[in-house]
Amino acid sequence: MSGKTETSTNPNSKRFSLDTWAVFLALLAALLVRAGVLKHVPW
Amino acid sequence: MADAAVALPQARAANPAWNFLRLVPGILLLAAIGYAGKLLEQNVGKYAKAHHWTFPNIEYVLWAILLGLLMSNVIGLPQIFRAGVATYEFWLKAGIVLLGARFLLGDVLKLGGVSLALVAIEIVGAIAFMTFLGRAFGLRPKLTSLLAVGSAVCGVSAIIATKGAIEADDEDSGFAIAAILALGALSLFTFPLIGHSLHLTDRAYGLWSGLAVDNTAEAAAAGALYSDAAGKLAVLVKTTRNAMIGFVVLAYAIYWASKGQAQAVGNKATFLWQKFPKFVLGFLLISVLATYQFFNKEQVTALANLSRWAFLLTFAGVGLRTNFRDMRKQGLRPFAVGAIGEVAIAAFTLGLVYAAQGIFHW
Repeated sequence: MSGKTETSTNPNSKRFSLDTWAVFLALLAALLVRAGVLKHVPW
Repeated sequence: MADAAVALPQARAANPAWNFLRLVPGILLLAAIGYAGKLLEQNVGKYAKAHHWTFPNIEYVLWAILLGLLMSNVIGLPQIFRAGVATYEFWLKAGIVLLGARFLLGDVLKLGGVSLALVAIEIVGAIAFMTFLGRAFGLRPKLTSLLAVGSAVCGVSAIIATKGAIEADDEDSGFAIAAILALGALSLFTFPLIGHSLHLTDRAYGLWSGLAVDNTAEAAAAGALYSDAAGKLAVLVKTTRNAMIGFVVLAYAIYWASKGQAQAVGNKATFLWQKFPKFVLGFLLISVLATYQFFNKEQVTALANLSRWAFLLTFAGVGLRTNFRDMRKQGLRPFAVGAIGEVAIAAFTLGLVYAAQGIFHW
């Protein structure tokens, strides 16, 4: 049953996985740093 | 416990804005606990020194985990925070992608090549041993498969991916997840102690924790508890292990389908792509960009610091989602199989690390 949700083109399945959203967010942050919008990130 | 660990925000609510808003309290809690850990690291040592007390230097990683554990096990995690706290894996993956800025491609290929060879040996050894133990203890076959995959590849994510592919029931995956999480929590305290007592170098320890600790969050935390360099390497090795998830899950799916107890796998390439952790690609992309100097030195520092902030939220989440009372309810046998297996895998991988040190003269 749960195999279906993993492999089928279920219309309710999400377009992007959580994994992919994490990559998008990280790449956006990298672009903001590269563009100088985020100049200094303190730690 | 298992519920809290796997209840990633997946409900398709009618209102996306509400879906997003319900994450906010938990994310703020992760940030508050993580930041409190950082403040404690900075101030407890200073305070102890000013009062001439002998107090060990405790890193923010451990403070964040301890504060999270304290809240989860003493007060309990109120419902309003649960959805947001479950995003800790999201921050972990974003942090790993950003960590790519600290690795030049040459390092990734060199260390990744060594770790790939060790990971392959670890996966085969771990699956064989866990399968043997599961049979010896009379566990249900699908529970044994889930425990084997969880301890060989990448903990909870591997168990969830395999559960879908082999059509295991919720009870089996709950048992397996609880055992893996309980052992992951123990590894946070035992691995650094063993590493220090054996005087392992940062490289050897990072390699060991990346190979032996199951969950990515715990592997990153166990590495960072030792040193920054060990944490960095632990994440790289663990990421290499994660990259193998598709192949292992595919093998199990084919095995259970051949027994008529799971759906047959259609397109294997699609299956592998669906199971492949996409953050590995993000990590490699950022590493390539850093290697070709797309970012200057200050920008690499900024990306590394962003990665640290993301990990801070993750470490707070590791503590918050660990509830020992819930784990106890899951029963002793899967935990015993997991514990025996984990000790054997830890010893086996430590042997691999010593062998790699001898061969590569680290």
